[in-house]
Amino acid sequence: MKFIMNRDQLVDSVQDVMKAVSTRTTIPILTGIKIETHEDGVTLTGSDSDISIERFIPVEEDGYEHVEVEKSGSIVLQARFFSEIVKKLPGSKVEVEVFERFGTRIRSGSSEFNLNGLDPQEYPRLPEVQENDKFSIQADLLKTLIRQTVFAVSTSETRPILTGVNWHILEGELNCVATDSHRLASRVAAVESTTDELEHPNVVIPGKSLTELSKILDDSSALVDIVITESQVLFKAKNILFFSRLLDGNYPDTSKLIPSDSKTEMVISTKEFLQAIDRASLLAKEGRNNVVKLSTMENGQVEISSNSPEVGKVFEHVSTESFEGDELKISFSAKYMMDALKVMDCSEVLIRFTGAMRPFVLTPLDGNTIKQLILPVRTY
Amino acid sequence: MNWNTLADRQPYVVKLLTNSLKKDRLAHAYLFKGNKGTGKRKISIHLAKAYFCRVKKDSEPCGECPDCKRIDSGNHPDVHFVAPEGQSIKIEQIRQLQKEFSYLGLESKSKAYILEHADRMTSQAANSLLKFLEEPGQETIAVLLTENPQQLLDTIRSRCQILTFAPQSQRKLIESLTEENYPVQLARTAAALTNDQAEAEEYLNDEWFVQARKNVLKLGEELFERPQRALLALHEHWNPHFKEKQQVEIGLDLLLILYKDVFLTQLEEEHSIVYNDQQNILSVQALQSSQSRVRTQMLHILEAKRRLNANMNLQLLMEQLVLRLQEG
Amino acid sequence: MLKKTKTARIIFHVDMNSFYASVECSINPDLRGKPLAIAGNVEERRGIVVTSSYEARAQGVHTTMTVWEAKQKCPGLIVMPPSFERYRTASRKMFNLLSEYTDLIEPISIDEGYMDVTERYSDHSPIEMAEEIQNRLMNELHLPCSIGIAPNKFLAKMASDMKKPLGITILRKRELPGKLWPLPIEEMHGVGKKTMEKFHKMNIYTIGDLASRDLQEVKLHLGKNGEKLWNRSKGIDDRPVDPEASNEFKSVGTSTTLPEDIVQIDEAANVLKELSQSLEQRLKRKKVVTTSVQLTIRYADRKTITRSQTFSNPIQQKEELFKISNNLFKEHWDERPVRLLGITATQVIDKSNATRQLDLFSYKEHTKDEQLFETLERINRRYGEQSIQKGIEKKGDVSHGNENETGRNEEVDREGINRQGRKR
Repeated sequence: MKFIMNRDQLVDSVQDVMKAVSTRTTIPILTGIKIETHEDGVTLTGSDSDISIERFIPVEEDGYEHVEVEKSGSIVLQARFFSEIVKKLPGSKVEVEVFERFGTRIRSGSSEFNLNGLDPQEYPRLPEVQENDKFSIQADLLKTLIRQTVFAVSTSETRPILTGVNWHILEGELNCVATDSHRLASRVAAVESTTDELEHPNVVIPGKSLTELSKILDDSSALVDIVITESQVLFKAKNILFFSRLLDGNYPDTSKLIPSDSKTEMVISTKEFLQAIDRASLLAKEGRNNVVKLSTMENGQVEISSNSPEVGKVFEHVSTESFEGDELKISFSAKYMMDALKVMDCSEVLIRFTGAMRPFVLTPLDGNTIKQLILPVRTY
Repeated sequence: MNWNTLADRQPYVVKLLTNSLKKDRLAHAYLFKGNKGTGKRKISIHLAKAYFCRVKKDSEPCGECPDCKRIDSGNHPDVHFVAPEGQSIKIEQIRQLQKEFSYLGLESKSKAYILEHADRMTSQAANSLLKFLEEPGQETIAVLLTENPQQLLDTIRSRCQILTFAPQSQRKLIESLTEENYPVQLARTAAALTNDQAEAEEYLNDEWFVQARKNVLKLGEELFERPQRALLALHEHWNPHFKEKQQVEIGLDLLLILYKDVFLTQLEEEHSIVYNDQQNILSVQALQSSQSRVRTQMLHILEAKRRLNANMNLQLLMEQLVLRLQEG
Repeated sequence: MLKKTKTARIIFHVDMNSFYASVECSINPDLRGKPLAIAGNVEERRGIVVTSSYEARAQGVHTTMTVWEAKQKCPGLIVMPPSFERYRTASRKMFNLLSEYTDLIEPISIDEGYMDVTERYSDHSPIEMAEEIQNRLMNELHLPCSIGIAPNKFLAKMASDMKKPLGITILRKRELPGKLWPLPIEEMHGVGKKTMEKFHKMNIYTIGDLASRDLQEVKLHLGKNGEKLWNRSKGIDDRPVDPEASNEFKSVGTSTTLPEDIVQIDEAANVLKELSQSLEQRLKRKKVVTTSVQLTIRYADRKTITRSQTFSNPIQQKEELFKISNNLFKEHWDERPVRLLGITATQVIDKSNATRQLDLFSYKEHTKDEQLFETLERINRRYGEQSIQKGIEKKGDVSHGNENETGRNEEVDREGINRQGRKR
């Protein structure tokens, strides 16, 4: 294997794949970055086994030459050393060449490194992209729907399946659901796909992977292709492939758990409500569960209160835009409420309650692509 | 290596596994039990290869493909080995495994894990493992290896298919060791400690082991002939040589063999004696002591071995043992 | 149990100096030596200084000032929001350190507590021990404290106030005329603004004034409290140091020394079952629940370990207490013979303040309580909050009981009103 690449290009690309490399891996080969050259360019791969990132550097792009491939082949180099080395190389170009027994020479300007490489055969095999079974979504929309759901995944390993976001693809629609069993976030979005029959009922993507994916995506309207394979999901943006393993097991059917009726409904300004809860929670944080209490009042206002025996009490009054139904006193976690309100992306939110011990549902007043459900806190 | 060569030593186990492979009816979890050196690990690795190899013929993995090779090198992303870290297999290790197994495999849906010395799981780790033995993933196989199956939770044992590994014949091992030009006395000693040839050779190549045998015999002699000086002998011959826990464990095994040899002499089973260059001492001791006394002494040594695993202070442990051996 | 003994007691009052600020400095050494205030709300004007470092106090900053005022007085003031989690952790460490000297510790708040060191573990004299405690708190936790040493709690408390920061003050009974009596009456622990006014009306301005009065006269004006304060002014206070007395940082525990050392896991389980039962009773009696359970194992060689587990939803029942303590035992027992076992609920909260986060997959179990909840609510609304408050738990806050014994305050208990909470 031999190629010559612009140093800056190489540094950038290595940095991209380094995002997937972890020093705490039990699989020795994953401490390395895989480099593969072929006629049309160079591919770098990094992986911590949960996620893998593949970066492709084409020989030529937009009439600009990035890399010169002299000999195809592949090698795995220790990620920590390789990334540090390329950052500090003196020349504007870097030549990488592999010799016998995986000996690898890196040359740039006046400097020459000889590294012991590892056998690329040892590196995990990532699934190949199947072009026919993919769907696409705009990068910025993808980031939004990750943001609107991933915060609600469970952080506890007691029910591992809940540490992921469940993606359900049916009839050109993607439905994302996340719950830690105390609250639930769901978001629906239309996707583009080459075939109408595309159906994936139970794809559970680890929340951590989606958070990482979100970091490497641009806020652009460019399409991201998504392919779901036997055990991985992969996201393909320009010159970058992001793989994530999927969670094993069946995601619980949450659709039946979301109440459809309501006894009390209110419309309230998202921002005002959020700020009121935020203030009330200053003291609530002291209480162990960060609990605030919402009480309906007679003048169309609601009172948010919190009482922390060690610190004191707080009362906040917020006017509702509209209010219908029974009076209500309900306690809930201020954190969950704020988390939900922060991702609603709407100026007014509709909240539907069905009782003090039942989940309540938040939706934007003008649409139902987002649904947030919160379980109340029981007081004694 | 292939199933055939493995079947030489473990015909029953190999037959069962290859049959299940052919019928594609592997169990979710196996418990391999058998003495050290009976090939549990080798067979578990071969089983993993047979499970993952995509070009296997019948039940025989090719041994050449990336799957097979990476199982050997520990780089296969969907095959996980867990062994005690220090004293025990810790909850963090099982948690890591659990996390790994809450995911689908990296390359396919299949996953495998091999747990060495499964009996050394902390009770918390064992309980945690139990949870996912109860709900195995679709295409997961677990292989638990142990020399002490009785120390595993019943609930774990009952969820595994148990395969018993036959001990390798000592005579065969001694023969092949002497063929390799190892002195017969030492070969007999090493073969008494392990059934595994490679491990026996490792002992025999270690100067420490040769000296260990001498020191144990020296201590034995003192215990037999000048019991009042035994504590002194302990400090002179034992403590300087047996410093690490594992060394003490070998020392205790060697000492146990000595008492066993006395017992065998009493039973007139001289052909089974390990230290047969010590027959003079052995027969004197066999006459002077009673069978029940020797049996009690052997139990004391076994008890000391058990305490060793409970992490007792090594010197104290040996002093107590020597005092008990004096008392009988 | 306190030993009944004639010998004079030796009580320490350990009082941490500007605790919140000290904790922040211990975590971030850059803050040390700088004027620092902890305020409820750092940015807005209405934020109030909760505590401040001595450097800030030296420039006129004091508690309850607004942040704005404080910054006027001390322009270089660093203002930080409180992080109670940190303070709790530091507090726990501090009390753990104290507990190396005696079991008889009574925490009064997050940052102060009494110790009865009459029968201390240490061979040192009390003053040496106080010095050691003070040094260790400073060196190991970077937290300064003042310690008062006296024959009773009241005097110890007064003593610790006499020299701050980092003081150690001994207050003997014979020193009262010189050290205690000249102090203004309002500096007496237990005298608030109202009591002070009453004393002033009686022409009592110093503690000495009070001590010189006739008990009957004081009692006439101030009742029982007057008697108590009169006694204290004379240096009399026989309240024991009670590890379970404080409500706030109270822990409720129970332990047993075993007739024979335990060597088997199921023997331990039986003991833990009994302890769980007794702990449940004590928690119920005190009307508290806990979010943390600590197991104590003392081995035959007297080495003692404690291991605890914390959880978000509070518990009280013996089954849960047993499950947690038994798991802790299985996890941490090193197979050596056990001499003593104990279970302690270390983070107890009043049941009336307890909450339980409902779960999406199981909330329906709780919805059956809803009706009761709503009925109570309606009655309260119609007849006013007082109407059925005694039957349930809490003033001003409608909630409902969890089991039959749900009365909250002692008064209710004494009235013996038959309370019917819901039944599980």
